[in-house]
Amino acid sequence: MDKKPSHARTVIAYIVLIILTFLCLFFFYILLINCTRSHAQIQHGFSALPGSSFAKNFNNVIHDAKLPVLSGIKNSLIVSTFCAILATYFSALTAYGLYAYNFKLKKPAFIFIMLILVMPTQVSAMGFINVITKMGMLNTLYPLILPSIAAPAVFYFMYSYMQSSLPLELVEAARVDGSNEFMTFNRVVLPIMKPALAVQAIFAFVQNWNNYFLPALILQDNSKRTLPILIAMLRSADFLKFDMGKVYMLITLAIVPIIIVYIALSKYIVAGVALGGVKE
Amino acid sequence: MAGITFKNVVKTYDNGVTVVPDLNLEIKDKEFVVLVGPSGCGKSTTLRMIAGLESITSGELYIGDKLMNAVAPKNRNIAMVFQNYALYPHLTVYKNMTFALELAKVPKDEMNRRVQWAAEILGLEPYLDRKPKALSGGQRQRVALGRAMVREPEVFLLDEPLSNLDAKLRTEMRSQITKLHKKLGTTFVYVTHDQTEAMTMGDRICVMKDGVIQQFDTPQNLYDHPCNLFVAGFIGSPQMNFIDAQVKKADGGYALCFGDVEIVVNKPELAAYEGKTVVCGIRPEDFHAEQQFFGSGNVMNAYIDLDEMMGSESYLYLEYAGQKLIARVPARYAKKAEENIELAADVEKIHLFDKETELAI
Repeated sequence: MDKKPSHARTVIAYIVLIILTFLCLFFFYILLINCTRSHAQIQHGFSALPGSSFAKNFNNVIHDAKLPVLSGIKNSLIVSTFCAILATYFSALTAYGLYAYNFKLKKPAFIFIMLILVMPTQVSAMGFINVITKMGMLNTLYPLILPSIAAPAVFYFMYSYMQSSLPLELVEAARVDGSNEFMTFNRVVLPIMKPALAVQAIFAFVQNWNNYFLPALILQDNSKRTLPILIAMLRSADFLKFDMGKVYMLITLAIVPIIIVYIALSKYIVAGVALGGVKE
Repeated sequence: MAGITFKNVVKTYDNGVTVVPDLNLEIKDKEFVVLVGPSGCGKSTTLRMIAGLESITSGELYIGDKLMNAVAPKNRNIAMVFQNYALYPHLTVYKNMTFALELAKVPKDEMNRRVQWAAEILGLEPYLDRKPKALSGGQRQRVALGRAMVREPEVFLLDEPLSNLDAKLRTEMRSQITKLHKKLGTTFVYVTHDQTEAMTMGDRICVMKDGVIQQFDTPQNLYDHPCNLFVAGFIGSPQMNFIDAQVKKADGGYALCFGDVEIVVNKPELAAYEGKTVVCGIRPEDFHAEQQFFGSGNVMNAYIDLDEMMGSESYLYLEYAGQKLIARVPARYAKKAEENIELAADVEKIHLFDKETELAI
């Protein structure tokens, strides 16, 4: 029964884990090293030690007149932050509607949302561009932000989380306590949903931060562009002026906000928020 | 403060199942009414209709003199204690209690005063800053009670609030709730399937079965005068014995015959049953081993299948004339299992029921 795992098994497990960790982190390491090296050094090949061109690369990136990096970061932050907030809040609201209420078209509504989930963005992209052009929203950030209100994948995650962690008695208790439906959602349901909100906010933030496809179609002014487009522009710049150190520096700058958001939100991802509320 | 009136209330669920077919019930102001019955008898549904958590299919529900059918739970001024507590897990005990008060915009001082008052009564003062997960079951239940108390509601609804507690705590909380009712002077509606809770706490008890009220009366009357076989069997522990007996005409009334026993009772109502079988209900404590109860024909020599010694008294599981019976006799008169014992029924306390309609005769 209580057999200890054999020594060999432990060793193998550790070796596998070390390899996996290495595979995951090695590229970050290269990225961080290479952003401190000059183009010539990088072309020379791999180095385990950082170079001395960090400041130079940084200056090159920030002060490139053709490359509005600062406004790119600002645009990406605006889009990703609002998308994360809208996607999580409204998906939780939709999921709550379907979870806590009984109404005639509940099942069809659920199936409809699930059907949207299987539809790739690319399929509807042309129609979407047509619509926003007619609405006069081409070359603005709104068409990147507003659609995240309808996020079926986030909805499904929230719905599943509610099924496992939100007892309806709490909702009933709040009703009896004199709370209206919207207040119940904001003051009782949302706090219990915190871990799910944090997980999905991280996902939504990262997804929109890295999003290239739609921004590339919608944003035309340099000042409106988001970071992934700028990175792509830099890489496809003309061959004579191509600077690998600059590319690595821009990518490094691009992942910093993601790491900050992850660290800030991950403290909410804890088990047992709903513990103790009702007797199971 | 307010009474509650059900007028021809029907509850049918969306799937077509009718849980409450036609409910007429009047709960007086400041009364402690217990709804009791086996699971699935519609008692919880009835309570939830008062709370507004279940819609009413047809009929009328009044709290005080206001028609409540279409009033949302939040506007009914009721407080409810749930079976599984339903505390807000992300809020402290204090915040749990003040949740409703904040919504009602009660001033801060008043809020503090009420929480202090409730915490003092319930012994929750040391725990006000804790979250529910750091409390024991009994403490959580008290928080749930406290949350209802601070509301100062017109009606207090309790849905099996003690069923998750252990036996000792349950007894303790039972008396706390009874005291609370006296102190608050509010209408209490209490749902339980435990007849001990019902008997000890209620001013009046409403026994329900299949959504139909069987009897609505004081505990003593329910015990002494059950109106049908169901109530007779449901109230009282151990359960009342039901014996099929033949009715014969005899001197001074009618004789109830089973086995060798012929008990003569003076009940003119039995005239219609002469020659027929009736159900004879005898509570376990109404079997006596003392000589003074023995009368001509009223002695049965029963075989003891099993005996349970309870200290001051003994439960004897008997077999007599092919029927299983339970008797509850003082320990000094009791005998051991596999022996025979002579017992007589207390003639005054025999309940008689029609075998077909199951109603009391």
